[in-house]
Amino acid sequence: MSEKLYQIISKVFNVDSSKISDDTSPENLEQWDSFNFYVLLDEIENEFNIKFNLDETLDIKKIGDFKILLEKNGVKI
Amino acid sequence: MKNEENLAYFLNEAKTIKPRELGKKLRVAFLASSTINGFEETMRVKCFQKGIDCVTYVADYNQYNQEILNQDSGLYQFKPDITFLILDTRHILGEHFFSWHIVPHEEKPKFVETKIGEIKKLCNTFEENSKSKLVITSLQIPSYSSYGISEQREMRGLKEMVSEINNELFDNCGRLYTNHQIFIYDFNEFISRFGEKNIFNYKQFFSGDIKISIEYIPKFVNELMGYVYAISGITKKCIVVDLDNTLWGGVIGEDGFDNIKVGDNPIGHSFVEFQKRLLALNQRGIILAINSKNNFDDAIEVIQKHPNMILREDDFACVKINWDDKVLNLQKISQELNIGLDSMVFFDDDPINQEYVRESLPEVLVVDLPKDSSQYAQIITEMKEFDILKITEEDTKRGAMYLGQKKRKELEGKVTDFNEFLKQMNIVVNVEKANSFSIPRISQLTLKTNQFNLTTKRYQEEEVSKFSSSDNKIVECVQVSDKFGDNGITGTYIIEKKNDEEWIIDTFLLSCRIMGRGVEEIMMNQIIEKARLSKIKRVKGKFIPTTKNKPAENFYEQLGFEKENEFWVFNTDNIMNKPEHIKVKKNE
Repeated sequence: MSEKLYQIISKVFNVDSSKISDDTSPENLEQWDSFNFYVLLDEIENEFNIKFNLDETLDIKKIGDFKILLEKNGVKI
Repeated sequence: MKNEENLAYFLNEAKTIKPRELGKKLRVAFLASSTINGFEETMRVKCFQKGIDCVTYVADYNQYNQEILNQDSGLYQFKPDITFLILDTRHILGEHFFSWHIVPHEEKPKFVETKIGEIKKLCNTFEENSKSKLVITSLQIPSYSSYGISEQREMRGLKEMVSEINNELFDNCGRLYTNHQIFIYDFNEFISRFGEKNIFNYKQFFSGDIKISIEYIPKFVNELMGYVYAISGITKKCIVVDLDNTLWGGVIGEDGFDNIKVGDNPIGHSFVEFQKRLLALNQRGIILAINSKNNFDDAIEVIQKHPNMILREDDFACVKINWDDKVLNLQKISQELNIGLDSMVFFDDDPINQEYVRESLPEVLVVDLPKDSSQYAQIITEMKEFDILKITEEDTKRGAMYLGQKKRKELEGKVTDFNEFLKQMNIVVNVEKANSFSIPRISQLTLKTNQFNLTTKRYQEEEVSKFSSSDNKIVECVQVSDKFGDNGITGTYIIEKKNDEEWIIDTFLLSCRIMGRGVEEIMMNQIIEKARLSKIKRVKGKFIPTTKNKPAENFYEQLGFEKENEFWVFNTDNIMNKPEHIKVKKNE
């Protein structure tokens, strides 16, 4: 599952998945801008067939947070 | 949703595309009252896929008023060909969106008037400062009214008020005959097709003022592509269809006349609906043709005699029902109709045929028709490739004109001497100065004519309009008829009066349906006679070669023009050959 998540991130941000880790964030990834982030959220919601709450999405600061959130929503990472 | 259709795909593709040398160029500006990230990227990619190199300008967030009202704005410096102004109801109504019910009745008309006035002012200022087409999206009619169910009992409820603004937009901006520049896109068409719950995502709206959700941005941009195709003149002109399982259910050669499915049952209904859509396009000027592997007699019998068929033999300008190769048939259809392969759309249910044509003739748009015939009607209604900015009289008559063409071909086949054939045609050419009726058609001809076109200059309606009222230019068109019917306005020329001695041919073109019958010679004779009357010594013009106008390459030379550097020159003291089989009427 982790692999699937990385695939989506790598596709949306157009970066090699080897460059993505749990610590990837807007600070260390230039491609991560506010609009791209919404695109990423949308892709992840569609791919895993879940809907995040608005407050959940505001807490996402780095890729690791996505994993925590997905697990919380019952997706095995 | 297919991967290549989502926004992430377009955002990434947009980074990789590079302008090509030969592509058509298009400058597109976006103005909006909300976040429109992703719009320009999607449009650039979609344009690139259609051979258009698109350069874009995106105004800053909610700066559309300043961009339009300030003459020195970035928008005007950018010099767009098309400008999209994407308005939205929440922004235009402000607090009234939530509480229209507390506005006193007597104040309501004034609010509507003010809003309309603001939009009109934008339109007028834009027209004064730019040549660009302006496409404004109409306002979304809210799906919720603050009046609740009593909305319909109110004079000027919320929805009625928004409709009122929209109607004013449609009437005063979109429909005015004199206005060639401003178009209204009916945003509610988009909403009713895909649904507000899908298009408007509260989470994205609260997070980033995104009013068209990320998933639906590519679909919305696709709606706008109709304007891009029409303005770039790359609209499709001809639909070629297969028969078995494309126009009817089943295989005529196996199932027989009585067992194929047209009407009368669920499968049959889907084909009838598809045929009705094709007929509607045909009535609007799209030419239909058949390309089918079948015994001719079996298949034509269905078209002639099956009680539930919508399309009949006379609706098809060209019929290829044989056992020949489908690619070969398409090439023949293209030649016989004089319509370029890149103006053709091919519908065939067989994926192998689709792939074969796609590989062999990449210019042809091959529709990805699924196995399920219930989807055919929807697929064709969602195609933007047939859109034109304004349907002209010629468009609605085109089907009949091609039928005349088919009959002309039959006569040509019977008469062995070509000159004898021309004589029997009784061709009459009406030469006419451009007027408000012919200007849209003249513009359309400059945008669409590729083969017999000496300079291939593309002009929008307002440019033709300007030329026709200028003292320095002559804009005339010819309407051609013969014993098989009226061909409509099919040729035009624009002359620049350079000085007292010299005129320059700026544009000279003739629809490919008509070329080769002497009309082009008549047109050039008109120019020379006119020049002589005005005591002009020399008429000259350039031949600007394109990949398609080879048929016009030797035209100047054949009529006695002499080459001087880049120009072909005709001295008006000389006599020009004039075809005698054509009767000319002048209406200058």
